[in-house]
Amino acid sequence: MKRIVVCYKWVLDEAYIRLNADMTLDTNQVDHKISDYDRNAIEAGVQAAKALEGTTMGLTFGTAEAKQSLKAALSRGLDESCWVNAEEASQADGAATASALAGAISRIEDVSLVICAEGASDTFARQTAPRIGALLDLPVVTSVCAMELLGNTLLATRKLKDSTETLEVELPCVVAVLPEVNAAPIPGLKAVLAAGKKPVTELTPEDIEADLSPRAKVEQVRGYVMDRKNVVLKEGSAQEKVTELLAHLRKEGVL
Amino acid sequence: MSGIYVYSDEANLAGELLGFAAGMGRQATAVVFSQEEAEAVKGFGAEKVLIFSGDSPLAEQYAKALATYLDAEQAELFLVGMTPRGRELAARVAGYLGCGMASDALSLTPVEGGFKAEKMLYGGVAILAETLESPCVVTLSSGKAEVKSAPDSPIETLDVQADTRVRLVATEPLVKQGVDLNAAEKVVGVGLGLSKQEDMRIAEELAETLGAELACTRSVAEERNWLPVEQYLGISGAIIKPQLYLSMGISGQIQHIIGVRDAKIIVGIDTNENAPIFKAADYGIVGDLYEIVPLLTETIKNA
Repeated sequence: MKRIVVCYKWVLDEAYIRLNADMTLDTNQVDHKISDYDRNAIEAGVQAAKALEGTTMGLTFGTAEAKQSLKAALSRGLDESCWVNAEEASQADGAATASALAGAISRIEDVSLVICAEGASDTFARQTAPRIGALLDLPVVTSVCAMELLGNTLLATRKLKDSTETLEVELPCVVAVLPEVNAAPIPGLKAVLAAGKKPVTELTPEDIEADLSPRAKVEQVRGYVMDRKNVVLKEGSAQEKVTELLAHLRKEGVL
Repeated sequence: MSGIYVYSDEANLAGELLGFAAGMGRQATAVVFSQEEAEAVKGFGAEKVLIFSGDSPLAEQYAKALATYLDAEQAELFLVGMTPRGRELAARVAGYLGCGMASDALSLTPVEGGFKAEKMLYGGVAILAETLESPCVVTLSSGKAEVKSAPDSPIETLDVQADTRVRLVATEPLVKQGVDLNAAEKVVGVGLGLSKQEDMRIAEELAETLGAELACTRSVAEERNWLPVEQYLGISGAIIKPQLYLSMGISGQIQHIIGVRDAKIIVGIDTNENAPIFKAADYGIVGDLYEIVPLLTETIKNA
């Protein structure tokens, strides 16, 4: 049976990251989530499996923390899940991540299609799909905003700046989808319950052929603060606030 | 290791990349994939213009051939313009070379044996600084350097094998359903604080009065379909630099703010005093947008 592998990333929910006084990041209280755009990638996989009458597998490369992601990913309609559990994931760059994922994919049988999101919500580096394609020497299509499967052929619509391209490629191939490719539904209770019973494969770095050492060496991560005036008008009547705002905007010369 | 190579499918951006290399005191080679592209970039000061010629009309399908060439030439840096085509080509080349890559670098400086790059992390919450050993690949967006005019560079052609497995069936101009937000001086942004589609009228009237274009958050475009997806602002949507960005009913999640962080003035109107929008704004009004916005429109009209 044809298998569709959807790669996803278990990331920090950036909306809850706080900055310490010394501009380092406080991530203690921050939960993880499936990277936003990966939800659309998973849904694209589920739909592709219907068209191909195939089966879907979620694939992630993460530290021990990523174990929590398996059920969350499976509840979105995937049939099974595979997790490369490695401490190296915490230091991984695009090269190491793609190597781990490609290493796992080459162990999985009957892979017809590999789907990634265009980028992850933490790094948004947009390297994973093209790098996996290169490592496995498979054809690649990125920036996909619509896809259609006709037998063993993928017809993909690719969104560029001022135009769209229709591209045709025989499977197997690697695609990177944009969030507008579909509307990822929120999983229902039934799907969440069913997720706990689906098969999960755990791999370690020894199980795969991969180079998990990062090529890009992190020197520093520091918080970024926008230098804004932060004048907040909250006292007075609505008319007073409006008048004051307009006075400020006139002074700034932006009205 | 020697040699910097640049590519962009936008000639002007290729010129900026050549200008960027010149700013590092280096003369780079421009990589192109057709005679037409070669003609368009030959006057921007490249050491030479190298045409990779093969059987695909798509630049990114030359990734393997290009990686093989860069490896043989011991290139130290492949610098690519940050467009959809450019970033695919760049990452595939990095994949074939098995080398490091910095995507959408904010800054790039040479260091011993490689380059140091800075880029955004977590949608703009943080800046990451990293070093990449040569060879490496870096993508840059436009606006990082000036295009410099120079006498025509010599053009060379290399016959190579393209990846023909991906075939171009059709190209269509993108029918912009919405407006050109990049050209707008003023933009009004709408968030989920607006509860019904017919209430968009309030925002439209303000936008019309200000001479502003209308934009929104991702949820407004993708979940509610109130505006075309081209009109949502944020990390995966449009990134704009207007003089004035006035948001209403937008809490100010980081993913949205990154789309307007380069605006000259940001204004937020929201009921929640603790909404992050007020930390990202120059001016804010804490209040009910259904009261504030019509009043704002009226006051501007009567001024």
